[in-house]
Amino acid sequence: MTGVETASAVPRGARDQRSARAAMTAGLLLPAALFLAGWFLWPLGQLLVLSLSAPEGALSSYKATAESQVFRTIFVNTLWLAVVVTLICTVLAYPAAWLLTRVRGFWFSVALYCVLLPFWISVLVRTFSWMLLLERNGPVNGLLLAIGATDQPLRLLFNQFSVYVGMVHVLLPYAIFPIYASMLKVDRRLLLASDGLGASSRTTFLRVFLPLTMPGVMAGAAFVFLLALGFYITPALLGGPQNLTAAMLIDSFVNERLVWPLAAAASFILLFMVLAVLLLASRFIAIGSVVVMK
Amino acid sequence: MSGRYQRRSILGEIAGALVLAFLVMPIFAVVPASVNSASFIKIPPEAYSVRWYGQFFGDASWVSALANSAEVAVLATVFSVVIGTSAALGIERLPSALRSIAVGLVLSPLIVPVIMISISLYYVTRSIGLYGTPVGLALSHSLLCLPFVVLNVGVSLKRLDPNLVRAAEGLGAGPWRVFRTVTFPAIVPGLVGGATFAFVTSFDEVVISIFIAGYGAKTLPVKLWEQIRVEFTPVAAVASTVILGLTMVLFVLGRRVTMKKAAAAGTEGAWR
Repeated sequence: MTGVETASAVPRGARDQRSARAAMTAGLLLPAALFLAGWFLWPLGQLLVLSLSAPEGALSSYKATAESQVFRTIFVNTLWLAVVVTLICTVLAYPAAWLLTRVRGFWFSVALYCVLLPFWISVLVRTFSWMLLLERNGPVNGLLLAIGATDQPLRLLFNQFSVYVGMVHVLLPYAIFPIYASMLKVDRRLLLASDGLGASSRTTFLRVFLPLTMPGVMAGAAFVFLLALGFYITPALLGGPQNLTAAMLIDSFVNERLVWPLAAAASFILLFMVLAVLLLASRFIAIGSVVVMK
Repeated sequence: MSGRYQRRSILGEIAGALVLAFLVMPIFAVVPASVNSASFIKIPPEAYSVRWYGQFFGDASWVSALANSAEVAVLATVFSVVIGTSAALGIERLPSALRSIAVGLVLSPLIVPVIMISISLYYVTRSIGLYGTPVGLALSHSLLCLPFVVLNVGVSLKRLDPNLVRAAEGLGAGPWRVFRTVTFPAIVPGLVGGATFAFVTSFDEVVISIFIAGYGAKTLPVKLWEQIRVEFTPVAAVASTVILGLTMVLFVLGRRVTMKKAAAAGTEGAWR
């Protein structure tokens, strides 16, 4: 600490000053580093040990999970669910991001808050809201009956449909921000040029605007996909018994079947999938930017 | 503005507005459900009443869950703000190659599937006696709170003119004095933004809490989760509305403070 003061008052060599500075930097980082090492990396390390500790041999838990038909089905379902949710989110996010670039002043604030607020609201509360809305006697069925779209209440809850609705609702904001950021970067003069050269608005959109915003679309899609892979609360509440996800399988390994090595192996397989997505998408992604926007 | 292309965008704007409505409106469905006088849920209610609020606040198990949530969230916020601010100051001083590694490490709890973090902490906290304790839960929530504090403070630090720090040092101020008089006032917006989001993150957290709260530290979201897995009751709608209301208040307060400070500093404040 005092090294900095004396160094600035009396130059005592750059090395002194530099080492004092390095010591202070290390001191500032130490609490968080210790915390993450002890409360994040160490527990994950324990889990890794556990996944390799089945009595039948080190990799037997991985082999058992990979060979199990149930496990494979559930992982394929989880992947498929993530793909569909990602596609829907990306398609819906695009016009929402577009709107954000088009409005100014008061309406910009309103639109921005519409995207920011859901980030803050508990996923559990939002999921419960959907349960109430999609219920047999809920308002959505009420509306469908009133306009004569159906003559008896539809079964909207506890199936694939309600899982899609709930997950899209929760994950949509993660797709909107990266797309919005990429739209802001588009040089308006390119659109004017395309327009001036006689291109139709359709052509300008498809050949100029859309390609220029593709990095944002890819980043948004990657975010949604990797978050969707690990989803637990929303599918557990909105899905039926057939809508199991990998996270729910891991939960049942721990809490119902008490097979820790299998749970640990399954979660590492899930983690590898997430990391693979992250690696593929690393060109487009700046995770920090989305976190800050919240 | 720019001819045909811009004029023809009205359909896109309508679609965008519909998507934003889809994003926001369903959130509030729990509110009418909570003021229904009947003992089953009906939206919109046929008759209004606040009787279920009386039930909620008269039930010791709901109230203690609310108190547990508040206690855990305060602990997690204080802890993550202190170590997160320190970490952000340290990260700012690192060479850029190390900086991205450090930021990556801080962010990684948001990337690892939360179910995996949950079972690893369940496994570990039981062996060290922190399972089912507010401290164990607060530390666990801090993993998810820390990134928001570090990044928000980091953004404020980037806006701080390094010449101000050099000037203070040149005038003979020690590191602590420089922090107190120059750095700290500059990072207050980031600190407040990070702290409010950290509080809400902990207050709302469900998955880790389901695994390690036990009976000793059962929070409001855990009790709500247990309840709505069995049946939809008006009291569950009240609990949801309480969570929703508290979050909205913090959302508005947090943005007010950060936007005012940002405006005062003459910087672009729209993002926080």
